[in-house]
Amino acid sequence: MTIGLSFLLGLLASSVSYFMLGLWWPVAVVVGLFAWLAFGLLDVKMDSTFTLLGGLLLVFCVSLSGMVFRASDQLSGLQYIDTQSEDGIEFRYPVPLLGNARYGEAIYKANGCAECHTQQVTHEGVVLDVKALAGEKNHAAVQEAISRFRNVTGRDASSGAGFPIGEWETVVNGANAADASKARNFLAAAGASVDVQVRFRGEDLTQHDLLNPRGRGWGKRRSVAQDYLFAEPPMLGSVRIGPDLANVGARHSRDVLMRILLNPKTVRKNSKMPQHRFLFEKADEDDQGQHIINGGYVPEGVKLPPDVGMVDIKIIKVLVAEDDLIEKGKPIVSVKLEETQMDIPSPFEGIIKELKVSSGDTVKAGDLVLIMDVAERYKPTKDAEALVDYLLSLKSANYPLPEAPINQPYTSSMPKPAPAPAEAAAATKADEAGK
Amino acid sequence: MDPREAVDRSCRGPVLFLAFSAVAWLLVYSLFALLAGVKVHASGMMADSAWLAYGRIQPASQLALQFGFLVQLGLAVSAWILSHRGKTVLVDGGYLIFGGMLWNAGVTLGFLGILAGNASGLEGLQMPGKVLPLLFFGFVLVGLSLVQTNNRRTNEEMSPAQWFLFAATLWLPWVLGGSYLLIHFFHAKGVVANIVDWWFIQNFARVYLTFVGLGTLFHFLSALSGRQLVGRSHAQLAFWLLLIFGSVGGVSPGAPVPAWLPALSTVTAVFYFFGVIAAWVSLTRTISGASAADDADSLAYNLMRLAALVFISISVVNVFFAFPGPGSTAEFTTYGPAMELLFNLGFVGLILIAALYHIFPRLAGMDFSPRMTGIQTVAIVFGLFGATLPTALGGLMSGDAVLGSGFYFASLGDVFLFVGSLILFLNFLGAILFAMKNCDCLAGFCGKANTKEANA
Repeated sequence: MTIGLSFLLGLLASSVSYFMLGLWWPVAVVVGLFAWLAFGLLDVKMDSTFTLLGGLLLVFCVSLSGMVFRASDQLSGLQYIDTQSEDGIEFRYPVPLLGNARYGEAIYKANGCAECHTQQVTHEGVVLDVKALAGEKNHAAVQEAISRFRNVTGRDASSGAGFPIGEWETVVNGANAADASKARNFLAAAGASVDVQVRFRGEDLTQHDLLNPRGRGWGKRRSVAQDYLFAEPPMLGSVRIGPDLANVGARHSRDVLMRILLNPKTVRKNSKMPQHRFLFEKADEDDQGQHIINGGYVPEGVKLPPDVGMVDIKIIKVLVAEDDLIEKGKPIVSVKLEETQMDIPSPFEGIIKELKVSSGDTVKAGDLVLIMDVAERYKPTKDAEALVDYLLSLKSANYPLPEAPINQPYTSSMPKPAPAPAEAAAATKADEAGK
Repeated sequence: MDPREAVDRSCRGPVLFLAFSAVAWLLVYSLFALLAGVKVHASGMMADSAWLAYGRIQPASQLALQFGFLVQLGLAVSAWILSHRGKTVLVDGGYLIFGGMLWNAGVTLGFLGILAGNASGLEGLQMPGKVLPLLFFGFVLVGLSLVQTNNRRTNEEMSPAQWFLFAATLWLPWVLGGSYLLIHFFHAKGVVANIVDWWFIQNFARVYLTFVGLGTLFHFLSALSGRQLVGRSHAQLAFWLLLIFGSVGGVSPGAPVPAWLPALSTVTAVFYFFGVIAAWVSLTRTISGASAADDADSLAYNLMRLAALVFISISVVNVFFAFPGPGSTAEFTTYGPAMELLFNLGFVGLILIAALYHIFPRLAGMDFSPRMTGIQTVAIVFGLFGATLPTALGGLMSGDAVLGSGFYFASLGDVFLFVGSLILFLNFLGAILFAMKNCDCLAGFCGKANTKEANA
């Protein structure tokens, strides 16, 4: 075997022992060197089927165990966890889907919603904020911790504008969670009297507003493996042609979701989402109530009834104007028919788009009078109801988890040196002001 | 009889059968890809049909492309190359045909299953789970024939083309079977199912398809240019690097899984790139300054060089986007699927079509119509770049308006691709029918040697 190939196998051996077996790195290097030598001494040829088969099997096993089994072992311990909802009610998370929502998940799966929508809120690093609790002496301690942090991680960290007492100030922006915890340890070691807050940051988590035009506001925290404990299977998706749905239940109402499914353009004009009319059926004339959804407008021509006679009909007065919203049965024109005056009622409810006649015209039965946009009325099938139930159940990003908190300050574990009475009073005051 | 002719005779029925099914699936793919694109522009179109929902025709078309077209044409070309390289007749061609039928039945059921709403919800294995055993056994039957053919090779030494194709033939049933067992038999829970799915996607693209493409390239670039392969040790290095590092990874940077998985994916992507470079060095040194030895092969040869160029370009871009920074910019945009499609069509698909151009006349005794071949090639090449590059760029810029116009251009590409695959299908069908009618080259269909000639 060539030097290059045996080196490669040695490299593989050392990375397996370091990354997968978790050996101390010098041991891993020795293992790699040993494997390099061993493979280099064996004169393995590529020309026997047996060699190829053996090598392939070895790689297959390493691949399967290294990627799938290891992850599976690590994740198999996931269990319920205690969390609390926005209004402070404690409950066990995640909640298994039941009944209609479970059926809705199957509808989501069958119709390939995951082809355009993800269900994973991501984050890009973390932000570390500190809030000074004491004055001058404290300032120096914070500075010391920050410069140590800079030296150790090589990351940029702001020393802030002097850390006014009681105000949150960002120290590290865009670090990973491990770096943030390092920074925290340095602060503790330097004896700084501060509150520390670690926030996940990223476009998914930032609310969309003037200051954050790229913010998407798709959830308050990132998604973690815990969220998908009961999903069958988790439909994480890989493309966002539409928005992320991990937290859609907290963003939209049932009515809006129904309208998006039926005709997305009635909610967002430039939506690219295809309509899902097959989840709905046309509502009957006499079907009324909240479940009726307006599926958009289609132009319909309104003609004079054909049974008014063969004679010329004179339009006395047009009773509506363009852009009027009129109800069904409301008179639209007055006509004169064999010396009797008569109002022609509107056959639809809708918006007048274009008038085809004006007062004084002479028309015949069956002639076009006007064009109006008529609302298409639909009612959801049980599939649509179930799908929307499922979507409304997706609120995972609202509930804080230990590994994915929603802006939780770690105040409790920071050691605080006893402040002088005057300073303490100032700090309390500032704290109150800060809140 | 010329030994090459005897080999061709043994390949004739099985290889043409697989190749024809593959070309038919390409037509199905391009039609459904076109439909899917149209649904993005005209949102109200076909909205009353659940079977034609975007979320169903998109994965169905992917199944037709990958399992219907790429795998089958890959098997057809592998069978031909393995028997030619080994200078031996194809062993048990009947297995190949029967296995091919099972595979086709599996893909058809999977395709209809997705359209009927029985998709599995996992990206790489969208077909209903019940179809997977059928696909598995179909592939194993074909693979048995290929492995036996390779074992009966007359020269003991195996060339790089043979390593790659042999490994690919073994690899797909392993990962397919493994994924089936883990997902549908052991019911992997939660995100573990996704990890198995990503593992399958990674192995299917980075190992199976890459090996089929590279194996075919290693054979044809040296065979068509009439040169010996240079850099066997580079090819060896490439083989193991691509295998080891291609078989692990493919987890996107923000995925809700333990953090070591995305990190491992970055590491393997970088090492994988070294394998690509090794293969590239060997290939370019072999063909530098060469042109096709036979004028009749110049189209196939140039298409293969184009495909090799696509391969190295995709690999360079992929390794850049494997790093977490650029990776999270591209994550979730249409860049990912567009590059995957470019890889499928522009690298593997193009190589296999070029190989078909070379193989077909030798098997059918009848060439494609040259004019139709010209048109279909231009249409397919335009189509595959047109369908992928705009959405890839649009995805990276990721503004709504850019993405919109990207989709319009992509639909134009889809039209080209549809026209190209339609002509390819008709061309194939016409040539076969013509050959059957006018000469007795196809008299020995299904691998049965013409006894008269064999005796003579």
